[in-house]
Amino acid sequence: MLDALRYEWTRLTTLRSTYWLIGIGVLCSLAIPVIAGIVVSDDPLVPETVAAGLNGGAAFGIPFLAVFMAIIGIFATGHEYRHGTIQPTLTALPQRSTLIAAKILVISGVTVAVTVFSMAINALAMLVFWGDVPGLFEDPLRSALLGYVVYTLIYTLAGLGLGLLFRGVPSALVVIFLMPLIIENLIFGLSFLPMADWLVPVVKFLPFLSGARLMSLDLSMMSGEGMPDFDYFGRWGSGGVFAAFAALIIAGAWILFKKRDA
Amino acid sequence: MITAKGLYKRYRKTVAVNQLSFDVRPGVVTGFLGPNGSGKSTTMRLMLGLDHGEGQTLFDGESFTDIRRPMNKVGTLLEAKPFHPTRSARNHLRMLASANGIGDKRVDEVMDLVGLGSVKRKKPKGYSLGMAQRLGLAQALLGDPGILLLDEPTNGLDPHGIHWMRDMLKHLAAEGRTIFVSSHLLSEMQLMADELVVIGRGTMIFNGDVNQFVRDFTQSTVVVRSPSADGFAAALEGAGAEVAKGKDGELVVSGMEIGAVGHLAFTENVELSELSTRSASLEEAFMSATGSSEEFVAAEPLAAPAAAPAAQAPATQTGGADHA
Repeated sequence: MLDALRYEWTRLTTLRSTYWLIGIGVLCSLAIPVIAGIVVSDDPLVPETVAAGLNGGAAFGIPFLAVFMAIIGIFATGHEYRHGTIQPTLTALPQRSTLIAAKILVISGVTVAVTVFSMAINALAMLVFWGDVPGLFEDPLRSALLGYVVYTLIYTLAGLGLGLLFRGVPSALVVIFLMPLIIENLIFGLSFLPMADWLVPVVKFLPFLSGARLMSLDLSMMSGEGMPDFDYFGRWGSGGVFAAFAALIIAGAWILFKKRDA
Repeated sequence: MITAKGLYKRYRKTVAVNQLSFDVRPGVVTGFLGPNGSGKSTTMRLMLGLDHGEGQTLFDGESFTDIRRPMNKVGTLLEAKPFHPTRSARNHLRMLASANGIGDKRVDEVMDLVGLGSVKRKKPKGYSLGMAQRLGLAQALLGDPGILLLDEPTNGLDPHGIHWMRDMLKHLAAEGRTIFVSSHLLSEMQLMADELVVIGRGTMIFNGDVNQFVRDFTQSTVVVRSPSADGFAAALEGAGAEVAKGKDGELVVSGMEIGAVGHLAFTENVELSELSTRSASLEEAFMSATGSSEEFVAAEPLAAPAAAPAAQAPATQTGGADHA
């Protein structure tokens, strides 16, 4: 397993795209607290602003870092097929399950490290503008920030699974962007219509929408007067839906990877 | 030593590899021949566990997928350019080496060995096909393995490169390594290989010594030049030989030993200016052996140059299409 981990680490760190994708993701995320600092630094910091600043606006539907890390996840397997390197890879490391396990571990480790680093420099930026970042280690902010790390990790692993499932990059990219932006939003929107109210119980099982609840500061925000009763799971239950979605993709892709010709 | 037993692979209705069994011995270069689409690459992929099928291949007694750090035991070259476009050639090898406990020093050594030392930090997308093949060979040699399995390694190489590859493989075989190499370049195989595995449509056609293959799948002919060629041709045919005229007017005799031809000339009182045997080449033997096994056959040219029929006459005589 150590050999496989070494391989995957070398693979990841010898690709230029790894660096620019992480760089863009971290910078886009950093832009949110910087812009907020320029515009509203005279206002006192409230937990909602702290959360949005630290997670780079992810809780408001623009998870920059998660998206760029998911692309790295897709590249982890999709690139191997796109450029034909899967053959030399499997002649250097023919134990297929070990290879996939190593990819998951290395990508997960890098994702968590980059997300924590991104939160740290975002916190530094807020410190510069406001002079203080209050309530970091108090709930619900603490849980929301931890949820952001988990959300980015699951998003990235879903990308890795899709890259392996489709054995390429374009299809995986389409699915990972199309699903949350169009399909889930469409189902969510239609569920408000009386004629499509049968969709209401489905909403809490929409993976990306559920996953977003991991980062919410106020879990009641996505329900209330005038809205259908979606009967959402709690923070970690919703995270479980998102995790189950990613696990399902990875498990399917893993089984197919073992069965298919390289 | 490579031992392949009962290799079988089917794609829907097409049987790509059909119960192939053969041994590849150490110390010699074993050529793997077959027409396009005959299943050579599929066989190699099956041997390495890249494709799933039936049968078993053992590399010194171990299945490839069971070998820990396989590059130290089996070196492979399968595709011409399986490289990420933005990763340098050296980093490509470092990546593979890291999975097999091989250090950066060895990476630099093999890059120098294949003549890519000066461009090792460049990206392989800028490499020519020949350079990519050299990088592929460097990859195969990374772990200094005792077994090499190479699919068309001379593809894209210039004549110097082909010569270099041939010498390299013969040198590696002389060190006691097991070399299994597929190629379409039959002239190169004739110079390089000691033993052959020949397949057609996924089925074994021949497995053994190169010279034996040529003997089995061609017939030697006798070349006769004489001022009385026409008259002697009739005498030869009367004695049961098959006679054809070459492009320079020589007689190409098959079905009769050279001694018998000479004796007949003596008894018929025919003056001879040449009496020699013409051995078939590996290419002729290959054409003879695999003629009916070609998967993809191109149409004949509509109009051949005037000299072509005469030029092809010897091949027709010695090619032995009758044996296919």
